[in-house]
Amino acid sequence: MKNFTPPPIRPGIHPRSGLGYLIDNGVRSSIPCLFVFFVTLVLSAPLNLPGQVELMPAIIMATIFLWSVFVPAFMPSLAVFVLGIWADILSFGPAGVMLLMMLIVHGVALSGRYTLARVNFFVLWFVFGVVMVGVTALQWVLCSALALHIVEFLPFVFETVLAIGSFPVLYTGFVWTYRFVVNNADPS
Amino acid sequence: MPVSIQFRQALGKLVLPALILVACGVILLGKADRPLIEKLRMQTADLLAPAYGLVAWPQAKLRWLSGNLQDIRNLEAENIRLRAENVSLRHWYDVAAALADENAALKSNLHWIPDNAPAFVTGRVVRDTSGLYARAVLLAINPDTAVRKGGIALDGSGLVGRVTEVGKRSVRVLLITDSSSRLPVTLESSHAAAIMAGDNTALPRIIFYPQDNAPIEGERVVTNGEIESLPAGLPVGHVHYLRPGQPVVVPAAALDHVDILRIFDYEDSVSPPDAPGRVPLPSVGRTLSLPSQFQSHPDQGLHG
Repeated sequence: MKNFTPPPIRPGIHPRSGLGYLIDNGVRSSIPCLFVFFVTLVLSAPLNLPGQVELMPAIIMATIFLWSVFVPAFMPSLAVFVLGIWADILSFGPAGVMLLMMLIVHGVALSGRYTLARVNFFVLWFVFGVVMVGVTALQWVLCSALALHIVEFLPFVFETVLAIGSFPVLYTGFVWTYRFVVNNADPS
Repeated sequence: MPVSIQFRQALGKLVLPALILVACGVILLGKADRPLIEKLRMQTADLLAPAYGLVAWPQAKLRWLSGNLQDIRNLEAENIRLRAENVSLRHWYDVAAALADENAALKSNLHWIPDNAPAFVTGRVVRDTSGLYARAVLLAINPDTAVRKGGIALDGSGLVGRVTEVGKRSVRVLLITDSSSRLPVTLESSHAAAIMAGDNTALPRIIFYPQDNAPIEGERVVTNGEIESLPAGLPVGHVHYLRPGQPVVVPAAALDHVDILRIFDYEDSVSPPDAPGRVPLPSVGRTLSLPSQFQSHPDQGLHG
């Protein structure tokens, strides 16, 4: 798989500012957050997909991780917070747990982004896997503590495996989005 | 207001820790004030219920269509089976009619008081809100109908669950397989009382059954009238042993794909009568005074 490298910065070229440019820029920069918003909404609908409940956190976490590592300007902390509240309202689990998980993934990606943005894809995948295992373990502990009994372990393992498995697909989608939608001016 | 770059950078670094603290606060708030969170979620679900209905509608149509196609394919075999079943059913119809006649005659001899028919509303399941640790469904209902918390949900063949939250256009039904569901049941052949405890699997366990009267494989399980709002005799399922010493209930209702549910309101069907003959317990700090007819008069003696 080809590694993703951020395009070089070319000084001196600025697009003309205006209302059209502002709207265009705003839509482009809100694409990652809108994606997470709609994924949450759609996956909470009664689609009867197998593993639908576990798929939602998997996709959300991978998306937040990727954008926080490569383009944190498009995935600000406040937006992650709002999306976390939204996911929590729609998911009927213990309140706030999903929110905390999303913020932790965002924080880890943000703090390690100068290293993570340069590493090989497989290393990035491995790091994401480790983060996901930690976060899901935390979710399991919190759910058990809040329910006052040990909840079943296997769904959480499934959630982790699903998140790690869907990472390459989301990575490909992310690279495509970055090249053709967000950074459209880049001719490469 | 102009702020220095250093200050702005420091502020930017503080945002994430502050938000994580707020998230911990949300977790505590969710634990401390559960009704607030539930209200928020039910309002959102209310708003989204029409959209969920739109998603559920084509699915139902598609299932109906594929079911139809399959029916056409199996028509021949189905006909043979139905004919055989019809013969056996006709026999049972005769038996049932005879029994109904006999029952009516016996009841008229006994001055039997008929149960009043409970009120119910029917709704379509728009969303399965089962998470990793809960089994529940969301039901769309007409805003004019009065569904109360504690209503009993049944499908065509048996008990499904109880209403736990009520919104304007939707209600949430906690299924009997949820790990927080505990229902008193009666085992019909062994006449033992037991508790059916959900554990998030498809088969709720039977616990607290008498040790000398173990459940029998295959016997019917019905509710018993121990708790108000849940009448005795509703069909729940039948007993099955996963392994020796571990009896579970196989629910009669199709809990993996609940489609249409009826919510019954048994709220005031059985209320215990006043017991005027009973001696009330004294409140703390006071002595018990007997009712007048039990107070012994020294001149009369106990038998007057």
